[in-house]
Amino acid sequence: MGLQANEYSYPWLAEGEVPPLPLDRDRIHIISQGVADPVFDYDIIPLTYTESRWMAYVIRADLKDMKAVTPEPIQIQDDVIEFWYVIHRNTMLGPYMEMGVTFSANVDSGDGQIYKAGYYPYMYLSNDSPIFAGKEPFGFPKKAAYIAAFEHGTNNNYFNMLMERRGYILHTANGRYSDKPLSVRPTFYGKTDWGRMNYRITTRPDVTNSIHEVTYLPSELPPGFGTGHRFQLNPASIRTATGADIRSWYMSGTPFDFMGGQIPATEVVGLISFTFNLIIPPAKTIWTKTVERTEADFGSILYSTPFKYTMRHRFLLPQYSQG
Amino acid sequence: MPSHLNVPTKYWELTKEVPPPPIERDIKSWIIANPSDPLWDIDVLPLTYTDSRWSAFVVRVDAATRQRLCPNPPLTVWDGENADLVEYWYVDHKNTMLGPYLEFGVTISASYKDPKGNVWKAGYYPYMYLTGDAPVDAGRVLGFPKKMSYIRCSVHGGEKGTDFFGFAMSRNGYLLHSATGKFDDKQVTPPFFYGKVDWGKFNMKVITRPDVSSSEWQLTYLPSELPPAFNIKGHRFQIKPEHTRTASSDAINWFAQATPFDNMGAEIKIQEVTGLISFVFDLIIPPAKVLWTETYERPASYRGYATPYKYGLRQQFPISQGS
Repeated sequence: MGLQANEYSYPWLAEGEVPPLPLDRDRIHIISQGVADPVFDYDIIPLTYTESRWMAYVIRADLKDMKAVTPEPIQIQDDVIEFWYVIHRNTMLGPYMEMGVTFSANVDSGDGQIYKAGYYPYMYLSNDSPIFAGKEPFGFPKKAAYIAAFEHGTNNNYFNMLMERRGYILHTANGRYSDKPLSVRPTFYGKTDWGRMNYRITTRPDVTNSIHEVTYLPSELPPGFGTGHRFQLNPASIRTATGADIRSWYMSGTPFDFMGGQIPATEVVGLISFTFNLIIPPAKTIWTKTVERTEADFGSILYSTPFKYTMRHRFLLPQYSQG
Repeated sequence: MPSHLNVPTKYWELTKEVPPPPIERDIKSWIIANPSDPLWDIDVLPLTYTDSRWSAFVVRVDAATRQRLCPNPPLTVWDGENADLVEYWYVDHKNTMLGPYLEFGVTISASYKDPKGNVWKAGYYPYMYLTGDAPVDAGRVLGFPKKMSYIRCSVHGGEKGTDFFGFAMSRNGYLLHSATGKFDDKQVTPPFFYGKVDWGKFNMKVITRPDVSSSEWQLTYLPSELPPAFNIKGHRFQIKPEHTRTASSDAINWFAQATPFDNMGAEIKIQEVTGLISFVFDLIIPPAKVLWTETYERPASYRGYATPYKYGLRQQFPISQGS
């Protein structure tokens, strides 16, 4: 008993494999907390991706349902939704799995400009750094989930996706590619004048106010990276499946995740998969609103009863699997 | 024929346990994004904990190391009684408004003198790790430096059912720390702030603009005495003394190391593991005060540390499916 050792060496620094320790840097090189060892650090900038595999179901939902989950000033354009999974193999944030939903939308920024973009109401990822790198500066609505998404079999003809959180299945689908064309695609596909939008909320530690922002990521490559769309798609990698090729599809709302209950698919149109490289540039804030709270407002946000735990407070003890 | 099923029923609305999504409520009650389905919501508030088990290793750390880990400005390390005792702790949270989760952290005694001459004393957290996404994000709003990791906390076995202990933490495939042993219930001197209501907790929050043009640092403070509204006098950590166990240094096996992803093992130079104090407690976490802020601007030419599409040591590790 009482055998103890601490290994303090940090050999990767001398070999130039890792950036200088955060506490040895100028503070402009700290982009997130903790300041001694940030959850995402400045070696993620510029944020690039190589050979990610995007697998996007195209679905339709009731426009009324879509509008009901979309905050002002974001306006929904049509009922075609991209419901997508991604395997990110090489990124500045390491490899991770991702799932998201994209609506075609626009925002009048109030200065005479209309911004057109895919708007993300839901996103799920497998790892912490990309969750907080997306959520904190940019406003991506990221949560952690178990995500399995893959293609397999002869010629990778078969596909399967599954997403679970806190013991509830949010979605699963599988089938076989036929490479037939889909009857409709999301409006923003391939268009450089359509960017991406997120709704960011930053709340003060004392909860006295929250700053609401719509952030916008342009789709054109940033200066110095060439021209064209920042999703650089490999056309030879495209596979498609129609709704009839999607053998099974199950989606459900859960007490922890409302997506399946909020935007049930009225039609599963098909699946489009492709391999791509990507760069994510800094985002522009195109709309902002500050919501102040007084003492009188706190009653409505103290929803729970102290020391009384309900359905949403009880689930299996999570074990973060990236251990 | 393929089977496509969507289950939009919201049966959890049959009781009042689950609040409606923010988008259906007054905007003053939106704390975090996304308004359609946030990562955590107002049913987290007030944030209480019941029967958590805190297991704190007490380690001796020299002044230079402690000062380096407490950012100055604005913090100064405590140089009074037992100043060199640092808390290196694990918690098994069984019942919380954020659900069950496991947690790890480091706490250093520090102080801050504000421009009016008031001296704020508190434990400062340079490192924290948790197993759940919602408590990581909710904590980060208050400034906690939380990351996700794989954590195990075992207090088990023997005559009392709590005689042995085993703790372990890993992230991205590297072990950060492990300690095992048997409680011998010998006296262990705690860090100075233990049990003192005039010592709160400090965190350093970092808010980066979506365009990465600046980051604001905020020193946040959580008081230890509860606000009158909670109707509970005394420390907001309410310890249940009958469950307290201790272990002396000789009863502890210990290993810690730095990893390419987590520098804690390199930064915290431990002179001695003096013991372990383990106790069961209830807790309330109130909103935090902001005591100090400073904003660091970045030039438009700021480019970060990475080379586009070149992935280094910190970007390569096994892909996770999430938990």
